[in-house]
Amino acid sequence: MGPTEPFIASTRRREFLRKASTLALAATPMGQAMAIDTDEGVTFAAGPRPLVSYPGKRPLILVHSRPPHLETPFAVFNEGPITPNDAFFVRYHLADFPHTIEPDTYRLLIKGAVSKVLSMSLDELKTMPGQTELVAVNQCSGNSRGYFSPRVFGAQLGNGAMGNAHWTGVSLKAVLERAGVQAGARYVTFNGLDTPVMASTPDYRKALDIEHALSPEPLLAWAMNGEDLPFLNGYPLKLIVPGYFGTYWVKHLAEIEVIDHEFTGHDSYFMSKGYRLPDNDCLCVAPGTAANKTRPISTLPVRSFLTSVTAGGVLPAGQVVELKGLAFDRGAGLKAVDVSIDGARSWRSATLGSDLGRFSFREWRLSVTFERKGPASVMVRATNRQGEVQPMKADWNPGGYRRRVVETTSITIA
Amino acid sequence: MPTFATLALCRSTLLAWAISLAAVGAAAEGITLPPDSSKLRPSTLPGYALAQQKCGICHSADYISHQPPGLSQAQWTAEMGKMQHSYGAPLSPDEIALIGAYLAVAYGSAKASDTSVSSLTAGWETAQMARESKPAGDSGAIDVQALLTANACLGCHALKKAVVGPAFSAVAARYRGEANAPALLAKSIRQGGVGKWGQVAMPPMAHLGDDQIRALAAFVLKQ
Repeated sequence: MGPTEPFIASTRRREFLRKASTLALAATPMGQAMAIDTDEGVTFAAGPRPLVSYPGKRPLILVHSRPPHLETPFAVFNEGPITPNDAFFVRYHLADFPHTIEPDTYRLLIKGAVSKVLSMSLDELKTMPGQTELVAVNQCSGNSRGYFSPRVFGAQLGNGAMGNAHWTGVSLKAVLERAGVQAGARYVTFNGLDTPVMASTPDYRKALDIEHALSPEPLLAWAMNGEDLPFLNGYPLKLIVPGYFGTYWVKHLAEIEVIDHEFTGHDSYFMSKGYRLPDNDCLCVAPGTAANKTRPISTLPVRSFLTSVTAGGVLPAGQVVELKGLAFDRGAGLKAVDVSIDGARSWRSATLGSDLGRFSFREWRLSVTFERKGPASVMVRATNRQGEVQPMKADWNPGGYRRRVVETTSITIA
Repeated sequence: MPTFATLALCRSTLLAWAISLAAVGAAAEGITLPPDSSKLRPSTLPGYALAQQKCGICHSADYISHQPPGLSQAQWTAEMGKMQHSYGAPLSPDEIALIGAYLAVAYGSAKASDTSVSSLTAGWETAQMARESKPAGDSGAIDVQALLTANACLGCHALKKAVVGPAFSAVAARYRGEANAPALLAKSIRQGGVGKWGQVAMPPMAHLGDDQIRALAAFVLKQ
């Protein structure tokens, strides 16, 4: 490709090549389609993890089969700041969920401490006041758990349990106000159509403080990147909580309950026992130890990734190469992304890409020259507008949640 | 030439027509999940059969094989405790210890020859011999309810309703009129299988005695 070739043409060519390679992958029998490293530096009791085809999805990395849990291959994040629907990660907790949903008969129930119990159809939700849309990152609490040291039980995820999409829906506040929140309301709980196999297993339900639920941010989305939600991402309606971890983004949302008391009991497990962090300033404990006191996990820490080259990749010596990646935070907004190619001795500021909104992935780019051949590393460190910066040393918590350390990618210069 | 107003009217009429069509004709969204082909690592330890029966009620075997390597027997046993007290898995304290030991040997840092594992196996074998040396009655004396509970059958099956596996009544209906139904069903219970009723595998019940399996088959066929 010559330097004079228009940019758009090269973009189209890349798009064509990408589609061609996706098609080739799709046409290859499973087992032979293992050109990518699905383990991404994580080890397993028995591996490697296969690439699998699930409905509505391109081949994704199998975390678990039942209930389904699929991870996005990291190469996808180099395609752009929006994660395509067919590449977006999938995570269920409970195996008993409907495999067919009728959009005409689907209803969202709003009940509890409200003036008026509502049972709303999709059409009613789509035509009521309060229509809203935004771009936001959905990141699993346990994203990157596989890199914890010491290791902990749970889904051994690489860095692919995250994604960024354009969500269209109605604001939660508008729906709650239509039902009329009673004085004394303290929490709003959310329940999807997924249920446990056995009655002795807690249901998957999440809660937001009433102030948060009535804030402008949370929305009930039916569209993702301009299309109906993929079934496995929560069709027909999903709770979107911008800036918060994916555990709150309840899929197949069917029931909203306003409560005037603490959320307790058997079905509060995933708030009161699970998805909790040490209750202290660093949300961490000494590696391998337990926390005395915990609190529910909440917002995303500032994070950044290099996407244009992955671990083990090779870059040329003595030439200008453009490094590229992504950064995001809880919605405070990114202030800077700094890159070091000399083991943190010096840092250079990357150029930030277009701003798709404060909850979105933001691309960064930086041109660098590696002078010497041999092993090298690239470190990426993001800082948000409130001064939160990624630490150089990983902190640790027993759940393996909320990894935020400066990522270091080992490469070879040849 | 149509005015802007009539164009707008046409468009809104068309739009309303399209919406009403969509409202009437919106098709159900559905998926078919691929079969779960993940399997537990075979072992002669007693925890293997127990793990096959109990773990698969709620999740596939890759929930286990995709854990980190090298975890200890204490860690695996603690995790089985969590399965019971946090997620309501039907596990007795003995079963938690046996499954923890099997998983630590099959997937972690333990060896079958470790005293902490072999003592559990020996204890289980002694208890098993005591069970088998009890005077054998006819199959009518077998407590089917106790078998159903002890083998976690009711985690996946109910009498009249499909849960993870088919309702017992549906199994009975399928075999109705089949001359050697008791033998065929006994074979299915002993060997387990996948595909006849869905994509979630039934674990083999090969550790049960012939008379126990016959009693279970007879019970199911009566539903």
